[in-house]
Amino acid sequence: MSESLAIEAENLEVVYGDGTEAVGGVSLSVPRGEFFGFLGPNGAGKTTTIKTLATLLKPTSGRIRVNGYDALEQPRKVRESIGYMAQETSVDPELTARENLRFACESYGVRKGERAERIEELLELVDLADVATKEAKEFSGGMKKRLDAATALVHRPPLVFLDEPTTGLDPKARNRLWDYFRRINDRGTTIFLTTQYLEEADQLCERLGVILDGEIVAEGSPADLKQEVGGEILNVRLEDGPEARQRAVTVAQSAGIFPGTPSVEETDDGISVTTPTARQHGTDLLVALRDEGLTVTGFDVRAPTLDDVFLAITGEHLDDEVAEPEPASPPAADGGESQ
Amino acid sequence: MSTDTAEQSARSGGNTFFGDVWVNFVRWNIKAVRNRFVLVGSLVQPVIFLVLFTQVFGNVAGQSLPPGIPNYETYLLPAIVIQVSLATGATSGIGLVNDIESGMFEKVLVSPMNRAAVFVGKTAAEMVRIVLQIAIILGLGVLLGAEIATGIVGVVGIMLVGILFSLWFVAFSNTLALLTKDQESTIIGANLLQFPLLFVSSAFLPISTLPGWIQTVAKFNPITYGVDAARAIMLDADVMEVWDITAFGGIWNTLVPAIGVLVALALLLGGIAVSMINRASSADVR
Repeated sequence: MSESLAIEAENLEVVYGDGTEAVGGVSLSVPRGEFFGFLGPNGAGKTTTIKTLATLLKPTSGRIRVNGYDALEQPRKVRESIGYMAQETSVDPELTARENLRFACESYGVRKGERAERIEELLELVDLADVATKEAKEFSGGMKKRLDAATALVHRPPLVFLDEPTTGLDPKARNRLWDYFRRINDRGTTIFLTTQYLEEADQLCERLGVILDGEIVAEGSPADLKQEVGGEILNVRLEDGPEARQRAVTVAQSAGIFPGTPSVEETDDGISVTTPTARQHGTDLLVALRDEGLTVTGFDVRAPTLDDVFLAITGEHLDDEVAEPEPASPPAADGGESQ
Repeated sequence: MSTDTAEQSARSGGNTFFGDVWVNFVRWNIKAVRNRFVLVGSLVQPVIFLVLFTQVFGNVAGQSLPPGIPNYETYLLPAIVIQVSLATGATSGIGLVNDIESGMFEKVLVSPMNRAAVFVGKTAAEMVRIVLQIAIILGLGVLLGAEIATGIVGVVGIMLVGILFSLWFVAFSNTLALLTKDQESTIIGANLLQFPLLFVSSAFLPISTLPGWIQTVAKFNPITYGVDAARAIMLDADVMEVWDITAFGGIWNTLVPAIGVLVALALLLGGIAVSMINRASSADVR
């Protein structure tokens, strides 16, 4: 048993009372200080896994150690040493923002002398200082979410579980939280974050685990996972039908446009090329297509999404629609906004 | 990114049981003050009962009362006190369901707080509410003409009975909340029991004037014991009809057995509620 691991789970299995197997044999190791991302579509088992690690669910079988404590035998030790932010926003609507934070401080035994300062610091952080005396029921969804995040962090735990912490937040609020997560991670806090968004994982995490149907199907750095996809995706829309698309595929695969062997597929209205150099050599393809006498009606280059990763790893699309988050501006641009 | 030292924890030693009780006591008191409906709402029905029953049935019911009771108001008031305890007991479970729905319950579960202490703190806050509400009801009853034979000591005694009586129903409604995790079910479950139980007890009329089957049911109805204890203090007399006990003398012939039954019930149902809260997790896992 290594002391350098924040989370160590072996063969975690969770079967719900109605017989649904939510997690089937997940093993995970997260070193102290790591920013770990847990990705998967809705219903893949992310939340069940995170709740089990946070002592909220007892696994049907398997072993868990968190911060060196056995989660089944010493759940209270584990609870003292973690912060947990649930997927559903959890704040007391009848308490003010400040009272919610005070309650969190008290329930985690934050030192009396530090409470007031800690509360004000967190209120500033989540941009709720000027509404600190308002009851949370008057807050918008995003404000509640920010307050919730603050309450999970009051005791400066060495390990924080964040279950889709930025779902439903606007880009500005998301960036502020990302910034803070990075900051506490820089200071040594281990972070276990679940998300449906590859972009979020990409921005924040050092290492990712991908879960599908209760099993981990891939693990590695964001770069590794994108590697699996094979680069960026260039979509080209063509005016003409199947015959034109076939010719276009041949053009795209021909030597001299993209180095190596790009993966080219026909789409409903054109072709899709996946290659690490889609941006640099995209224009070459467009020129070549025109020289072939094909009419291009539109094109775009995009970074791979979680869906693409899944497609590459499992050969299947995500069955439910996963909306990508609104594009977030780089955090640096947000730096001056703190009051 | 992993660096040398983890961020300095802001925790002091550890949580204490009493500390955890206090934190939750404070939180639920703040909520009760904010949500005036909780304080006033559970008074509405008892007040309606007190006013309407005494006005509508007062003359008729007064005639079936044993001698020595000044009026129906005096007879009915202890029953209304118990009704207040019941109503507040029911809102206790609703508070827990609200906590489950707002995610606060899970937040409490994932914290290092002692779960029994969480429950005790919440219940203690409800006891404060019950005392306030009983004070209001007793004041109103006296205005309507009820007489408290044991005076100010009796008022305190009746409040204590009200608190003791509420415990089993608080435990019951919280257990219901944990089982159903659903507001409607908890409200319906708690209210559904309230009214029939009140009527098949010694609450509104002397047991001896009621049909035989109700007399039998009343014997096993906790409300009978709560009402009898409060009424014994109100009238300064032995009023228990379901059992004929004479070992303790006077008013104590009612109080000792009634309090015994209520303490046993509170321990039993309280034990079930606390053990459920201790085992509570966010979902049912095999």
